[in-house]
Amino acid sequence: MPTIKGSVTVLDPIGLHARPAGQIVKLVKDSGLEVRMGKPGEDLVKANSPLRMMAMKAKTGEELAVEVDAEDDATAQAIISQIQDFLKG
Amino acid sequence: MLSNGAVLTGMGVGLEAVAAEVFRVKPSAELPAPAKHSGDQDAQTQQLKKAIADVAEEMNQLAEKAGETSAEIFEALVMLLEDEELFETAVGEIESGWNAATAFVNSVEQYAELFAGDATFEERLNDIRDLAKRVAASIAGISIGLKLPTEGRFVIVGEDFSPADTAQFTQAVVGVVTIQGGPTSHTAIICRSKSIPAVVSCSQAAELVDGMQVLVDPVGDRVVVGGQASEATRPISFIAKSQDPIIPVRANIGSLEDAIAAAASAAEGVGLFRTELLYLSAKTQPSREAQAKSYSEILSAAPQGPIVVRTIDAGSDKPVPFLDMGHEENPALGVRGYRLINQHRDFILDQLASLELARVESGREVWVMAPMVATYSEAIEFAELARSAGDFKVGVMVETPSLVYEIPHLAGKLDFISVGTNDLSQYLFASDRMNPALGAMLNPWQPALIRALEQIAVNCADAKIYSGVCGESASDPAFAVVLAGMGFHSVSSSRSQVGAVRTALSAVTQDQAREVFEAALTGKSADEAKSAALKVLTAFSEN
Repeated sequence: MPTIKGSVTVLDPIGLHARPAGQIVKLVKDSGLEVRMGKPGEDLVKANSPLRMMAMKAKTGEELAVEVDAEDDATAQAIISQIQDFLKG
Repeated sequence: MLSNGAVLTGMGVGLEAVAAEVFRVKPSAELPAPAKHSGDQDAQTQQLKKAIADVAEEMNQLAEKAGETSAEIFEALVMLLEDEELFETAVGEIESGWNAATAFVNSVEQYAELFAGDATFEERLNDIRDLAKRVAASIAGISIGLKLPTEGRFVIVGEDFSPADTAQFTQAVVGVVTIQGGPTSHTAIICRSKSIPAVVSCSQAAELVDGMQVLVDPVGDRVVVGGQASEATRPISFIAKSQDPIIPVRANIGSLEDAIAAAASAAEGVGLFRTELLYLSAKTQPSREAQAKSYSEILSAAPQGPIVVRTIDAGSDKPVPFLDMGHEENPALGVRGYRLINQHRDFILDQLASLELARVESGREVWVMAPMVATYSEAIEFAELARSAGDFKVGVMVETPSLVYEIPHLAGKLDFISVGTNDLSQYLFASDRMNPALGAMLNPWQPALIRALEQIAVNCADAKIYSGVCGESASDPAFAVVLAGMGFHSVSSSRSQVGAVRTALSAVTQDQAREVFEAALTGKSADEAKSAALKVLTAFSEN
């Protein structure tokens, strides 16, 4: 399956905290796809664990890389844009 | 062993007494020490899986019982609890020999290390550790959550109760006794609002055991073993002698619902409108229009009379998401209340501007005051900001002992002050309000607090500054009479107490209130001050 790459920015004033982490994990699980996220230059982590995502300690204003393993680009882009939505706070 | 007739003293909350059977809330049992399992990894893994599911179910049930905002907290907790990686890490621990409970606790600690030192996550860290404890307890077959009876009538007895505990009070909880905690503890506040008779700060209650019959007698500040409802101390039955109380009784509010309910009471205006509730759940700073709209609705709904609005009272222990509060060692002594002016001047100015819009829109008489003001300069600075922001009467809260000495110098600069007795006690007695072991220090009948209050009333009279009291103590009808006797111009009570306080203040004359206050001054301890005052008050109010 091809990997589609994108990026999102944390806009939530408290950073990537429990609620958005939980929302992202739920989205990823519902999609059945493998999604990885991380800070640029660091190892990406699977977006299936809210704790792992919170442990990135992403702060307001930080950019995060997102990788989605999906057959079609549109599905992947939709997931990336929903993740961005969750990070708006 | 306590025998029938034994009297345990504490601090009463409420006016009604109740006699029922004791239900002793066990102190949470010690969790078993970390241990290895005997070899069956699959069984351990299954056991862990089941325990996690059970705790998740427990949290879901709490979410259902809690209101909408708290429900979200519980949902987030369940997501963390069911985290796949957390579970995988725990399975790894089981594989290296640890039993299910130890494995889960270890696994959580591994994540805890990742979060450590980051203020944003510190609180989550405690939540996650609490979840780990619950899972370990579930495996060990120990109950750490409150398990209260749902049928029958019980007086529940425990050390003190947290917000999560009180959220679980069932219909069967007809009385509450706490070993620790004071009159401003969370337990006391909840019992007062739910009208559950309670006695707090009752150290001998440690000896009460399941099955005993007790009388919870809040008016008598006591619990009587084997006591019957008929033995309850009679509250002073105040007989109103005049239509109006000797000083106005206002209501404390924090939301639109409160404002509507207060308007249905006999309150003359609002003596404390706590504004922070409007902001605690907002993720970003609401626009001026949005703030003005909320304020306008509340001002319009509030009971007739002036409305005293307190500007935001937040701090690192009561953080507002969009104001960066950071973490502090001693939040009660830190950057809170008006001290936010240094970092968040724009926000406070915005709040005042929104209030002015709402004042014009609603056509109400609005007084504004700042909390946690400690110096003359801060008081003056706030007065200038508020006067240039709108057509308000302007004042400050008197909560810090330092301000007591500045009142004479504020003559002509402030229109009014309002005393927050809870915080004033905390700072006067250097006793943390959050520390349940120090509850007795926060008793409003403490002679030193009474003297400090008198000083404030006298200084205000000399400086021609209007003075009111809005702390919990002003919700106690007898203490309200003492406050009137000292010379305070108004009191503001929690809305469930407005009627009772009003009746008490209608049952005495100003001169009689003065005598009650003077009687209180003769006490060398809180108990003596209270009983001396009540003796005089009973004679006046019932004849």
